[in-house]
Formats: sequence, C-alpha cells, structure tokens
Amino acid sequence: MVRHSKLQKQVLSLYRQFLRAGQDKPGFLPRIRDEFRENSRLKKTDVMHIEYLYRRGERQLEQLKDVNTKQLGTFSKSRET
Amino acid sequence: MAAVCTASRVLTKKVLTAKALPAVCQSSSRKFHFSIYGNRDANNAKVSDGISTQYPVVDHEFDAVVVGAGGAGLRAAFGLSEAGFNTACVTKLFPTRSHTVAAQGGINAALGNMEGDDWRWHFYDTVKGSDWLGDQDAIHYMTEQAPAAVVELENFGMPFSRTEDGKIYQRAFGGQSLKFGKGGQAHRCCCVADRTGHSLLHTLYGRSLRYDTSYFVEYFALDLLMEDGECKGVIALCMEDGSIHRFRSKNTVIATGGYGRTYFSCTSAHTSTGDGNAMVTRAGLPCQDLEFVQFHPTGIYGAGCLITEGCRGEGGILINSEGERFMERYAPNAKDLASRDVVSRSMTIEIREGRGCGPEKDHVHLQLHHLPPQQLATRLPGISETAMIFAGVDVTKEPIPVLPTVHYNMGGIPTNYKGQVINYSPEGGDKVVPGLYACGEAGCASVHGANRLGANSLLDLVVFGRACALTIADICTPGEKLSPLKPDAGEESVANLDKVRYASGSMRTSEIRLNMQKTMQNHAAVFRTGSVLKEGCDKMDAIYQTLDDIKTFDRGIVWNTDLVETLELQNLMLNGVQTIHSAEQRKESRGAHAREDYKDRMDELDYARPLAGQEKKPFEEHWRKHTMSNVDVKTGKVTLKYRPVIDHSLNEEDCTHIPPAIRSY
Repeated sequence: MVRHSKLQKQVLSLYRQFLRAGQDKPGFLPRIRDEFRENSRLKKTDVMHIEYLYRRGERQLEQLKDVNTKQLGTFSKSRET
Repeated sequence: MAAVCTASRVLTKKVLTAKALPAVCQSSSRKFHFSIYGNRDANNAKVSDGISTQYPVVDHEFDAVVVGAGGAGLRAAFGLSEAGFNTACVTKLFPTRSHTVAAQGGINAALGNMEGDDWRWHFYDTVKGSDWLGDQDAIHYMTEQAPAAVVELENFGMPFSRTEDGKIYQRAFGGQSLKFGKGGQAHRCCCVADRTGHSLLHTLYGRSLRYDTSYFVEYFALDLLMEDGECKGVIALCMEDGSIHRFRSKNTVIATGGYGRTYFSCTSAHTSTGDGNAMVTRAGLPCQDLEFVQFHPTGIYGAGCLITEGCRGEGGILINSEGERFMERYAPNAKDLASRDVVSRSMTIEIREGRGCGPEKDHVHLQLHHLPPQQLATRLPGISETAMIFAGVDVTKEPIPVLPTVHYNMGGIPTNYKGQVINYSPEGGDKVVPGLYACGEAGCASVHGANRLGANSLLDLVVFGRACALTIADICTPGEKLSPLKPDAGEESVANLDKVRYASGSMRTSEIRLNMQKTMQNHAAVFRTGSVLKEGCDKMDAIYQTLDDIKTFDRGIVWNTDLVETLELQNLMLNGVQTIHSAEQRKESRGAHAREDYKDRMDELDYARPLAGQEKKPFEEHWRKHTMSNVDVKTGKVTLKYRPVIDHSLNEEDCTHIPPAIRSY
C-alpha cells in the first residue's frame, strides 16, 4: 500500500491536534472538518501551497489552544428569493 | 468539481455568489444572522441551501483589549499585563512598524541636566503652547509625571544621548522656556540623537515581551462593540485568513494614532488613517477639537518627509530667498524656536509675500551648514541621511528646502486626565463612558489644546498609556466576569465589510481618496478663510456621498488590501468631514487654526487690554471651548457641540493654574 509521505503525516497530525483542541469549544469542529476537506483537494505535488497552509494552520492551532478563545460562530447572509 | 482553486479562494469556504438584494426589505432589517453552527447541526456537516455568504467569527474573552501597538498602545498593554490583567493587543501593523518609530525629536522632561529646571515651568510652557485650550489638570498630570516617565524609559534601556558626565542630554526645543517664560530658552528635550521615536518604540517592544500580553498582529479593528452606552469589546478582521474576531472585554483602550492621510501632503505614514476616531464616531460618541491640525514647519519640499525641530534646537535657522533669518521679525525672543504654529504661519507669509526660495518661490530653506560637522554627525545623523535621500542635499554644504506639512492631530477622542473616554452634555457635564479608554495621538486629554509643543507627544504617549493602565487597575480586578453580550453584536460591521468587499460602483478607492486629500489640502491648510472653508465643506460632503458609489476589485477575503484600504478610506472620510466642518464653524484664530477673516483669539475676556472693568462674555459668544463633533454615518451630516476648557490644575497649592494671556514668542 502507498505509505503517507512525511508531509501527509504532518498534515494528518495537525488535523488530529485540531480535532482534540476543538472538542471543548463550541462551533470549531464543523469548520475544522470543512477546511481540511476543502484543502484536501490540493494536488500532492503543490508542496509550496501545502506548506503555506500548514504553517498557517499551526498558527491557528496555537490560537485555538489559547485559553481565551471561546467559541466559533458564523455570520451568514441568507440568499434572497 | 475541478481541483483548480485560485489562491484567494482555497483558504476560505466556497463562497456562493450573492444575489442582489431586492428593493423591498426583508422582514428583519439585519442582513446577517449569527449562529454557532451556521445552518447545520453540531455533528452533521451538511450546509443548508439558504446561505449565500458566511463569515466565521472567533470569540475571545480578555480582561482588557488595547487597539493599536504604537508608543501609547504598547505602554498601556504591558502596563496592564504588569498589573495582572489578561490583555490582548490588536494591531493592524507589527508593533515596531507603527508610526511612533518615525518620531525624531525627543521627550520633554524637567530633569534639570543642562541647567536648573522645574516641571511647573514646563507646565506653563505647555499651557501657553496650547493657546489656553488645553485642560490644565491633564497638563499638570503630564508635566509632573514627565521626569519619572523618562527615568522609567531609561531604566527600560532606552539609549538616550548623554552629556559629558553621563547624564541624559537635553536639547533646546520649540516653545520651551525657563522661569515661566522669563528666563530664556530651556533645554528640556531628552533625545536619542534624532531617532528618539525609533528607540522608544523598540525599547517598549522589547520590554513588552517580558509580559504575557497576547498580540494579534495584522488584525484590522473594525468597530467597537457597544451595548447600552457601555463598551464591551472590539470586532476585528484577521487580514491573514479573513476571519472575523470579536474580542470581548470589560476594558478597551484605543491607541490608534492620528489621521494625517486626510491631507495630500503629510509627514505621516500611509497607515495613519484615524481608525480609532472613526470607530468612536460610528459608536455615536463625539470627537474633540478635530479642526486643530498641526503643520510642522520643516517637512521636506516635495517628499513631505519630516526634518525634526531638533535641527533648529541644535542651532539651525530658517532663511528666505534674501538670505534673511526671517523668524527674528515674527518671534523676536524665541526666533526659530517659537511654537510650531507661529513658525508655520511665518513661513507661509514669507512665501506669500514673494520671498520664497527655488524657481517657483514656494518653499524656504533650513540652513545647517553653519554648524560644526561633528555636531551634525553626532546629534543629527538621521536627518542628514533623510535630506540626502529625499532632497539630494548635503547638509554640511547646502540648505534643505522645507515647507509646512501636516504632522499631528491635536484633537481626537475626548478623555479626562485619567484616560477615560467622556461624553459631554450641557446639563450633565462630563460623563465617563464605561469600559472605554483612549491614549496617545488618538486621545485628546487635552494636553495639547490648540497647538502641540514639540517633544510633548512622545511624553503624552508614555504618560497617558501608563495612566490608562493605572486607571483600569484601580477600577477593575483581573478575572472579573464579563457582562453578557448580544450574540449578534458586530453585525453592522460585518455587513459593511461584506458591502465593501462586493462593491461595484464606478469610482475607485484611490480616486475618492485623492479627491478628499486634494480638497482638504486646498481648503483647510495653514491659513483658512470662511468662504474657502465653506466651499471645502460642500466639496467634502459631496465626496462623502460618492463613497456609496465605490468600486473594489478584489473579491477574496485573504489579504484583501483593496478591502482594507477602502475601510481605511471610510475612516479617513469621517475624520475629514469633522475636521473641515469644525474649522468652518470656529470663527477665531487660535493655535494651529488660523483664520484670515477672524485674525484674533476670542476669549471670555479681552486679554490684550487691562482686565479690570471687563465683563465676561457668555459661553456662546466666546471661543475658548472644545469642539465636540458627531457624525450621522449614513448621511455624513456633522453636528457640533461645545464643551468648556478645564482651567484648574489637579492641586492648586502644588501648581497654580495659568490664567489666559496674550501669546507671543
């Protein structure tokens, strides 16, 4: 079977950390899942982009773990009929 | 679905195209609805069909939030952290890039290293410099705290220039005198060669790293979260990933700086856009004394870069085309070290009367080549380089071409001497707005009144930054429970953001900004006339209306500088209309506001003549009062009220207040 590359393992580890960190604070999990699913569409060869998103994700994870971050909500505009 | 995603869209949710809203309003006037999970439940990731645009909002809770990380913001932030408060510092720039870094001159403090000195003489100079529009209790507070503040900075490690015996070198600066104006020039300005602001900011930044303040860098603060007249936090846009963040806290400190960019030619950075003043205006609170805009006498002709007043302090002189030191005629005692507004006006008069230098006779010269080159190299290295780069001039051989340029805003968010933001009503007097504080150039305590003395601004930053931290430590305790906030607080800011992001009118942001800057430069300059101001007011009102017709090009949410510049333009416009309307209404000349049609100062008594037998004019008939301006954001209409000046000091035995007198240098 095709093993994960180092970068893939890093991304998966980040995803795991995010899921763990987002468990106790309302609203984060759906968005974490959506972001990772969306960005999983990137080609494996687009390393620059993946690394940029990974670095950004690390910063966002730090912020999520911070005790002062409380919840994630959404402002949504309804589509007009 | 193709795997190709453009860089700007990959990192956010898929944004479905927003249909245009129909002419008929929907049942709720609010366009955005807040929910924790969007339109799905906690576990199910399915998105409902009814959503067209979504903005994720992260909520944070802190004990105190400081907006702005310049001199005042950093001092307030680590002062609060030192007192044990859980503090967040929200800034749109990295702290060491704030405009404080560009300050050159120095900090005034009555340390008495060059000759005997007393802070009460500094108090007198500041009150006189403000043309008796400054609140004397705040000035008393600032000048009394000055020596302690400078010693504290020195203990933080700020590398002041030193005298031969190792004490802090103090240079002469504009408007500073000894013995209440009768003892000649005072040497009171502590400096670091001519890069004091740079050293100050880097020292404060280094010091702030010792404390556990949370920095939110490159977060653009959109608005205050106000509920029932109380400030409960700030809502900000993270520029890096386009998410919205709400910072809930009991105490918010605004230290966002001035708004020099309303003018075409200014010494300020492109980021000086008056965001704090605009946030307060949108919250329905007044701004104070915005018509007082300081024109620094020596900004490089053409480039607008600043040449510090310290040059004149070290012995530089201003000369006209005839080689005459013209300041001797306008200010016989202080000459080139008169107060900045006096010097700017003198330069403008010389140019107007045809004695300007250069082929178009539209600037004057600042001569430094008569000073020993070694002194120029030790005390003024920065401006030597600036003059070479921006004017192509070698200061040891040729004079620098200079022109009065917009430099500082004396006005801002009205506060008391403790740094608490106040609202004024004639019946109730000053009323504190709970939870909101302001310091630095964004605040108006008011220590500078109608004109600021050089080197008082850096002092203002550290003293009132610390004062805000001390006041908050006095009133609140760390870890207090936050009062509840409506779940959809900040909805209008997000709606505005969305509107600007998808704006498709006909005028670009840069066009509208240029129109505004040219109008302000032509109509509200050093000398102002009633008819020209009125024309400027009408033009500014028209330009304000064109904001509805704005066009932006970048529809993304990540690093959308088009969006941020447009939000900054909205902030600049609010500041600009208040400035020009307040200037048009003030029918007198005071400090930096000089009217050709009303050349004199109009106080409650005529201080040019003996006071005995004079009757005090009623409040409505004289102009020794603060302007409080409000704007109706939808229509752009400015309403003005007036608030009396505080004439008593904090402690009359310690320091008697200075009664108004004729201001001459």
